[in-house]
Amino acid sequence: MEFQIIENERLGEKYYRLHHKSGLVINVFPKEGYNSTYAVIGTNFGSVNNHFISNGKEMTVPDGTAHYLEHKLFESEEGDAFSQYAKTGAMANAYTSFEKTCYLFSCTEHFRESLEILLDLIQSPYFTPETVAKEQGIIGQEIKMYDDSADWRVMMNLYQAMYHNNPINTDIAGDVESIAKITPEILYECYNAYYNLNNMVLSVAGNVSPYEVLEIADSKLKDSPPIDTQSIFPDEPYEVKEKYVEQRLPVAVPMFCLGFKEKAENEMPSIKEIVCTDILLEAFAGEGSELYRELLDKKLINSTFGADYLAGRGYRAVMFEGETHSPSEAAEAICEGVRKLKETGISREDFEIARRSLYGRAVSGFDSLSATANQLIDSEFLGKTIFDQIEMIANVTFEDVCERLKHQLDPENISLSVIKGIDE
Amino acid sequence: MYEFTKKTICDGVSFGNIKDDRFKRGRINATLVMPLDKKTAAANALLSCVLTRSCKKYPDFTSLNRKLDELYGAALYPSVNRFGDLQTVTISVSGLDDRYSLDGKSISSEITELLCSILFEPNITDGHFLEEDFEQEKRQLLENIDAEFNDKRVYAINRCIEIMCRDELFSIGRFGSREDVSALTQENIYKAWKNLLDNARVELCMLGNTPYEKALEGFRKYFDGKPRKITGSTKVISEVGEVKRIVETEEIVQSKLVMGFRCACPKTLRERIANSLMSAILGGSPTSKLFQNVREKQSLCYYCASRADNTKGIMLIDSGVETDNIEKAENAIMEQINAFVHGNVTDEELNSAKKVLKNVYISTLDNLSAMHGWYIGGTLSSFLASPAEEADIVDRITKEEVTELANRIKLDTVFSLIGN
Repeated sequence: MEFQIIENERLGEKYYRLHHKSGLVINVFPKEGYNSTYAVIGTNFGSVNNHFISNGKEMTVPDGTAHYLEHKLFESEEGDAFSQYAKTGAMANAYTSFEKTCYLFSCTEHFRESLEILLDLIQSPYFTPETVAKEQGIIGQEIKMYDDSADWRVMMNLYQAMYHNNPINTDIAGDVESIAKITPEILYECYNAYYNLNNMVLSVAGNVSPYEVLEIADSKLKDSPPIDTQSIFPDEPYEVKEKYVEQRLPVAVPMFCLGFKEKAENEMPSIKEIVCTDILLEAFAGEGSELYRELLDKKLINSTFGADYLAGRGYRAVMFEGETHSPSEAAEAICEGVRKLKETGISREDFEIARRSLYGRAVSGFDSLSATANQLIDSEFLGKTIFDQIEMIANVTFEDVCERLKHQLDPENISLSVIKGIDE
Repeated sequence: MYEFTKKTICDGVSFGNIKDDRFKRGRINATLVMPLDKKTAAANALLSCVLTRSCKKYPDFTSLNRKLDELYGAALYPSVNRFGDLQTVTISVSGLDDRYSLDGKSISSEITELLCSILFEPNITDGHFLEEDFEQEKRQLLENIDAEFNDKRVYAINRCIEIMCRDELFSIGRFGSREDVSALTQENIYKAWKNLLDNARVELCMLGNTPYEKALEGFRKYFDGKPRKITGSTKVISEVGEVKRIVETEEIVQSKLVMGFRCACPKTLRERIANSLMSAILGGSPTSKLFQNVREKQSLCYYCASRADNTKGIMLIDSGVETDNIEKAENAIMEQINAFVHGNVTDEELNSAKKVLKNVYISTLDNLSAMHGWYIGGTLSSFLASPAEEADIVDRITKEEVTELANRIKLDTVFSLIGN
């Protein structure tokens, strides 16, 4: 088996990609002179994949199952993974997002042993009624911590307001009732459907050689039989579900999150769509923009203000968020700005400045091993290389961005989520 | 590998350079250091915000930010921190290395010039900053202070320190108090600017691939012949009286328990590292005593972590707990400390904490922002050894040394934030 070398002249960087005989895709990004190494293995199984058909069998699983599975895979018959990594000194962790589950470590020594632990970990499911029940307490605590987090709640409440059916409207960890329904059988079904190596990607960045990774992979990976797993997503109307949602939490400064829901197919957005949207948002709402200045002058925002693009299978929305003492006024001022933007568009100069800013930040991302390795996973799931984004930013045109604007930021299709203080 | 150079411009003003060609980005930081003082803390904090909002050359918020965007997303930001009983005000500018600019223009020289403009040529007319800059930044700093209450983990830690160190300078928040910020006038921050430039200890540091000589000359022009005395020391209390206990209630689902301890204030680099190792064994990683016993075995909390402040000689243990378990969690934490005090540390606990700490030190070398943190921490504590040397010392520390340091932990304050 030979690695494919993927190079980028602009950055003077390259990485090695291989479709391993076990089914796993392996990406290795050596960084000369680095002392540490970061490895992450991911499956495209996140909280939104709660309904699927795997080799002909249809399953609907309780909310929070992907996250629960992450916690349980992190321990084996011999105990939790942390105590195994303790012997190598690696810092290990795992996370579940809406779209994927990832297991990772970073280390400065004993890379081989740590990678062996990681590969064993994801290939040794061990779920019994006792071990599954034991996790309820800890995950229950985690759920409660998120219930108190205003940052998290303001965003989740927005997703619930915007989406009728898409599972993006459900908390990644589920709730105390839903996780009580999780059984070892459910975890095994999900494991078999999504932790098949044909559905997974390993990325390693830093002080590492591709041949070292290949050697360890050869010795540790068991061949996975081909599998056909398809996620099923419900139909989602174009219109938002609710225009306004409010929650009271002990916060000193209220928070808001304003979402412009847009049409979304049941597939991932293209890199071009993401890059055009990012440039548009930078030009429209970045710190150098007219809108930002106007909102500041009116005392409607502070430095926590920002814009973001939420985009995945079946859901897409532009979001503006921040702290403010006047959430409704802030939302109205942004909508007014959007109406103006739809009429006049952005200027060529604003486009160029925004593009440069985005370019600089994207290039800087390659300084970080964790950003590089995680980005390699995301790119692979999109069927792209990690350099496609940089090249897109360097080559995208003003006309591309103007075209993109036509399909987003509908001021008639918005939801506003607000967190207010207890006593207000 | 990096090359390290340190130059003295005059007494109290130094310039450090970490030359490293591995990174896509470079940065240059100016850190101004003063004793924490209730009379000036708030003014210094607000000043740092106003300074980074505009300058003579880019005279308003929008023009300055457009300039940063044009420089391929350069970043300019202030940060204000406490280092023992000192307050540090840092202005940082970072930007893409010249090799990666799309049009071949030099980004690095503009970034250095920008930092000089920000520090030395602010937007001042007749002793006044731009009124809208002053008002806007004051409002935002107040909201920033208020927002520390939004994150209950941060809030609980801050409250514990405030209660524990109530008679010490350390209890002055890094931004000063809300009242102090509210009362600030234009005169206050103009005076703060003059005072910082004339009297503060100045630690300049440039990191990345750009040769440093031009930047050094730029700063030399301003600071040469303006020596200053380095003032300020940190008060360390090692004795405790009756444990201070404060309980507050709040509409939250998960309660917070923060325990404040007095601990050793190390006099040597080795003892400093040993104290960090002691804290790491106790609660610095998923293999630590607190995580393994209080969280994993007893399921009493979601997180339970310890952090030692070697400069102030205090250690905090903070945890997120179910309200019904708060007393049990406190007892379980004390039980782990007692075991440690009696020498109950396994080789496995010691060795895994050593590995974690070494990993942290060595990883510093792969991140310029972390390298700057290491440089400032080492410079201000006068224990500047390379991360690799620090990692070597970790290996040599014995169980006896960490046990001896565990014996110097004394509970001072318990702060609980209880959900109704």
